[in-house]
Parts: sequence; C-alpha cells; structure tokens
Amino acid sequence: MPVSRRGFLRLIGADEESAYSGAFLSARGLEAHLAEAQAQGQAPRPVVPPGVGEIRLSSNENPLGPGKVAMDAILGKFPEAGRYPFNSSPADSALIATIAEQFKVKPENIVLGAGSQEILKSAMRAWVSKTKSLVTALPTFENPTGFAKRYELPVVEVKVDSEMRLDVEGMIAAASKGDCGLLFFNNPNNPTATVHGAKTVTAMVERVRKASPDTVILIDEAYHEYVTDPSYESAIPLALSTPNVFVARTFSKAYGMAGMRIGYAIGMADTVKPLAKLKMPYNVSVFGVAAAIASLKDTQHIADERKRNTEVREFTVKALQDMGAKSAVSQGNFIFTNIGRPAKDFRDACAKQGVSVGRDFPPFEKTHCRISIGTMDEMKKAVEVFRAALKSPSTATAGEKGGR
Amino acid sequence: MLTRRSFVQTVGIGAAAYIGARGRENSLWSVLEPTLEAIEPGIICLSSNENPGGPGKAVLNSIQTAFGPTGARPGRYDNSAGTLTEAIAKQLGVKTENVVLGCGSTQILRTATHVFTAKDKALVGTIPTYEECAGYAEMMGHPVRPVALDKNFKIDLDTFAAAAKAAGLVFYCNPNNPTATYVGARATRDFLAKLAKDSPDTYVLVDEAYYDYVTDPDHDTHIPIALENKHVIVARTFSKAYGMAGLRMGYAVGHAETIKKMRDWDAGSGTSSLNVLAMQAGIAAISQDASFITAERARNREVRDFTMKWFNDRGMKPTDSQANFMFVNIGRPVKEFRDACRAKGVLVARDFPPFEKSHCRISFGTMDEMKKAIAVFEPLLAKKATAAA
Repeated sequence: MPVSRRGFLRLIGADEESAYSGAFLSARGLEAHLAEAQAQGQAPRPVVPPGVGEIRLSSNENPLGPGKVAMDAILGKFPEAGRYPFNSSPADSALIATIAEQFKVKPENIVLGAGSQEILKSAMRAWVSKTKSLVTALPTFENPTGFAKRYELPVVEVKVDSEMRLDVEGMIAAASKGDCGLLFFNNPNNPTATVHGAKTVTAMVERVRKASPDTVILIDEAYHEYVTDPSYESAIPLALSTPNVFVARTFSKAYGMAGMRIGYAIGMADTVKPLAKLKMPYNVSVFGVAAAIASLKDTQHIADERKRNTEVREFTVKALQDMGAKSAVSQGNFIFTNIGRPAKDFRDACAKQGVSVGRDFPPFEKTHCRISIGTMDEMKKAVEVFRAALKSPSTATAGEKGGR
Repeated sequence: MLTRRSFVQTVGIGAAAYIGARGRENSLWSVLEPTLEAIEPGIICLSSNENPGGPGKAVLNSIQTAFGPTGARPGRYDNSAGTLTEAIAKQLGVKTENVVLGCGSTQILRTATHVFTAKDKALVGTIPTYEECAGYAEMMGHPVRPVALDKNFKIDLDTFAAAAKAAGLVFYCNPNNPTATYVGARATRDFLAKLAKDSPDTYVLVDEAYYDYVTDPDHDTHIPIALENKHVIVARTFSKAYGMAGLRMGYAVGHAETIKKMRDWDAGSGTSSLNVLAMQAGIAAISQDASFITAERARNREVRDFTMKWFNDRGMKPTDSQANFMFVNIGRPVKEFRDACRAKGVLVARDFPPFEKSHCRISFGTMDEMKKAIAVFEPLLAKKATAAA
C-alpha cells in the first residue's frame, strides 16, 4: 500500500487538528517535558487552543516527514511488526552496513541509537564524571548539559560569540585544562543555527587533542543535511582518522523521521566502542530500520529537501528582517531571531493564533526566539502571525526596538 | 562487549566453543556470529520467541492512523508516551506513577541492572536465563552470581533465596527463558516474602515477558506485590503475545519510589527512546479486547501441545513449557542440529550453556509452520547424534 507523495502531503497537511501540541517545547526539549508529564501522570498541556490547526515551528522537524520511499518502506513492514529487528528483512545490521558503505567504513565504526539522544546520553555516561567535566556551549542543545546538572557533574558552558556562533577559542581553552572528559560541539549549533567551516573545526580538534589528548570530542551534526555554507564540511572523515573524536548524526531532521527515533555515532572503532557497550539492544524498530535504509539510498530526496528548506529559510529570514527582527546566519532548518522582546510573550501571542515557536534559550530568552522552518505555505501564514505579534509593544524591552 | 561468550565466562560455565547467533543478537562486536543476515522470505523463524501472527489487525490499523491527519506522524516528535502510560495504568488498575515505559523490556532490564547492582551488590540469576541483566552487570564490573536450576529446569527457590542474600538485584524470569518452566504464583509469593525478610535491601525484577502464555492453573501476576513492596519490580513486554517485537515497547510496574529511581536513571528523557509507531500500537494493543490475548494463548497452547507430543513420542523430553517456546533434550549438540535446520529453512535458537550439548530451544510458530518444521526435524533427529551428550 504505497502512499503517494500527494496523498502523504495531504495526510500530514498543516490543517490537522490536534488537541495537544508540542508548542513551547522543542523537539528534544519536548521529550524531557513528556518524561516529566509521564512521571507525574499528566498529559502534556494544551497550548494551541482546541480547534485551531497548529503550525508547528517549535521542534526543528522536517515538516514533510519522511520521503515517499521511506513511507513505502514503513508501510511495507506491517507483516514483520512481530519480528525482532534482527529478524526482519532488512535487519538492523543491514542499516549499519548501509551507513558503513556510505562512508566506506566498517560496521564497528558505527553505533546505532534510539535517536542521536541515546548517543549523547551514552557519551555522558562514558566520559563525564565527578572529576571529568563536560565542556559545551551556551546556548546549545541542552541534553548533555541537562544530564550533567541532573547528576551534579561538572559542566562548563561557553557563551556563543557576538554573531551567535560557537566561541571556538573559548571552548578550546575550557577543554584544554586537563579535566575535560567530553567536548560537545554542535555544528550547526541548535538553537542559534550558525555553523563553523571545516578549517575551524579541524584546527579546533587539533588544538584540543594536543592540549588534552584524553578529551573526547563529540561533534553533533544533526542539521548537517541543511547546511549550504561552502566552507562547511562534515567532520566524519576527521573523526575516522582521529582518536577520541566522533560525530553524531540523526534521521530526525532532514530525513524527516523524528518520530522513528534513529541516530548514530560514527568514529574510530576504539572511540565509539564505549557507546556500543552502553547502547540498548534492539533499540531501533523494524519500521525505522526499513525507512532509514530506504532514505539513505534516496539521495535526491535529501538534495530536494535542502533546496526546499533553503528557499523557505531565505523567505522567512527576509520577512522577519523587514519587520526589524534580525536573525543569526542560519544553516539549519530553523532560525534564531532577535524579536526585541521576551520569547515567552511572542510565543504566547503566536500560540493563540495556532503557531508554535521554540522554547526559551537562556541567556537570550529576553530577546531571541527560535523558529523552525515549516513549508512555504506554513511560513507565509506564520509570518503574518509574527507581524501581528511584533506590532504590539514589547512588555519588557519596549522602546528598544520598533515594531517594524 | 556483551557477547554471550563473555557472559558465559563470567558465570563460570566454561567456554562455549561457539556462541550461537541471536541473543545479544545485534551486538556490534559479535564477529563470532556470521549469520546475522535478515530472515529471507519463506524461512520459518523458531529462534526468537515471537508471536508468528504479529500484533493483529486492530494494532496494525492503529499504526496506520499514525500517518493520518489526527495521529502522530513519523516525521514529528511525538507526545503520546503519557497517553500510553495512562492506558497501561488503566488496564492494570494502577497509577501512572507506578509505570515506566521502555524501548522493549530490554531498556527496563538495563535500567534495573544499572540502578540496583553495584560493585558490592551482585546480580543473581539462574543458569540459564535471559542474558541481558548479566551482560550489563558484567559490563559494569558488578558481580554476577549464577544459580543452577532444579532437575526439572525450574527455578530452585531454596538455592535461589540463599544466593540472593545481600544481593543487589535478583533477576526472576518466570516463565524462565530459555527453559520455558514456570514457578506457580503461590510459590513465587512465598519466595518474595521470604526474601523481603531475609534480605530486605535486595531488589527483585520479576520478568513476566511470557505471562500471557501461561496455562498453569496456579498463575497470577506479581504486580500487586510490586505495588506494595518497594523491592519488587515487574517487567512486561509487547514483544511476545502482543506480537510487537519489531516495534520495541515494554514497561515496568512497581512502587512509585522505585519507578522514580528507574526513570531518574534515564535522566528524565527515557521516553526519547520510544518511537511513535510503537506508542500508537501500544495504546491500541493494551486497550483492545482481552479476547486477542485469550485467543493467542489458546492458539499457542494447541501448537505447543502438538509439538511437545511429537518430541515426547520420539523419546525426546521437553521441559514443562508454559510459554511460546520449548526446551527439549535432542540428545546432541544444538549447533549441529541448528545448522542442519537452517540449511532446510528452519531457524531454531542459539546455544544455552550449560545445556548446549543436549537441549535446544524451539519457539512455537503457527501450526502450519510447526508441521513443516517437524518434517525438517524428523530426518535430522532420526540420525544418530555424532556427539551425543
């Protein structure tokens, strides 16, 4: 039962009604919230008013979901729902083999995760302790930071530079003190969407390796497929030739499979081995395996998705710019925009109109909002909601920035 | 890595020459396991204790609604973990604070081992049993204390209770995988009560993975005890009778404080391991009419009785199976039998030391599959064993 692209687009159309939404909470932030909700036995709270179709720009997802070949692969696996992933056809080992083939590496260079979040969590368990710190950015994807704080493990958060890029010099310095167990380098960086070029990343790795060879460097390339900056290159070749460096990738973003929970780590076998030890067995579903393999073979789909995202991103950045809201240079499927007012006020105003935007990202929660890039149609509607929200005077920073 | 080989070494059973495929099946480091290819169409898979019929139409339909306009979608992060937790709690008559979800019960087993064992707090389990917990304990360098089964391949409760004293965690798999035997509900209750008295700080993980297949009249869940006793946890899975092994969903039930400890170990985002289709399917599966499970138990029982009789009639004695698989004395090394079956398109299970020279675990497929499988078994088992035990 193949799903046509058109039929699929209709199925996931932005006009669906959803009683509960993940607004206010990003993708991964959403999950933390859900665990909390689960712990308390509560359903997630409704944000967008009931009956209002949600445009979800809060989770950095691909608004179109998986491509047709991936959808077909999922639907084709119904007869194998009862089989373990190692018994299905293709099996989870075939997904590892497909990834390995793509990078011309061996299966032992790859560790699958239930989303890249499992990889990040395992990395924290493997390399951060009471005496070995996490060095990360502020703001950046909060999962490793949250883990460190929860377990009262040492963490150094290096604030991004004035252009909202990772402060490479600051992070090198913090990671070179000898007690850094893990350096988390999110490139492009969530939530600021900025990227560093290959030369900068290579030099960063060399310097940290020289100053602190035992420090493990985790380069999270969740948004890799969306980058258009020509100076950027994946750090995977670097990881495959440098001890204690590995890259995390995910199928949750451009591949459109956030709900399927698949990510992976790639690096030298000895480097990723601790992650393999910590991984949950059978952590990826039969459906996820089939969809991921099909997607990896459909390279045109990713090229098309990048192009689509780039167009919508440019439209959105310009529209916001015209309203006086300046964005950091975005290389992801989201933008970090100076709205000149607390993100909460803006978020609440947008939610009332059915548009969910990103959560707070301290220390910029008083000025900046993260907005995920939806479809062009969604963004055209969303931009009008933004315009109305930005017209009203800001409660906290009124006067600093006009409504235009 | 947690290969079966290293597990066996840990528990001191001696080196198995070759650790069969499929257990810690997708282990990256299992270079010893060359047969990890997917199962080709037409192969009869009797190696993994799955429900051969899958999850049934209602559940599959619910997965399909995951693609629909009001459902969750594969491209979106999903928020139905809370809904599934509520559905499970409602079905079991417990509170949501008593339930934690896992990516298969394997995540539950892993969490429990991490939380409740330590360098000075051993894991206690039978030999053989399902290997996950021992594998994790071994990886962390926590001691593992193996306990032999009785002569009927059942958990020997007295020996077990003695070994459990001052342990961190007792893994109590009932029915026991791979031996398929079941300790009655009353005896288990007595065991748990005795342990609570003799070793009050020891946790017990009662793995009820095969709960729905039991036909022993003295059968009951131990969830009520888990709700009362902070040191008892019950693990459940959707991978067996519910036919959802491919989706990855399991859960634990216990006292709120204990469940919180397990949730906390997963750093508050344990649900990030759960995929949207599994959550959708889990809600449908747990909420569906009880007749699904009743029918599956009856179907399995019929196939079980048929298959066990066939072996019994030929002088090959199976244990008293209370699950969707059997453990049978085939009087020869399992490896040679397994390889020969595989060549004929039938997969049977891996080695389970110390019984790998005599006993094979065979999962129950459909009646049709078992008839075909028996046609494959017959000539192989009629031959004289080359190295009979």
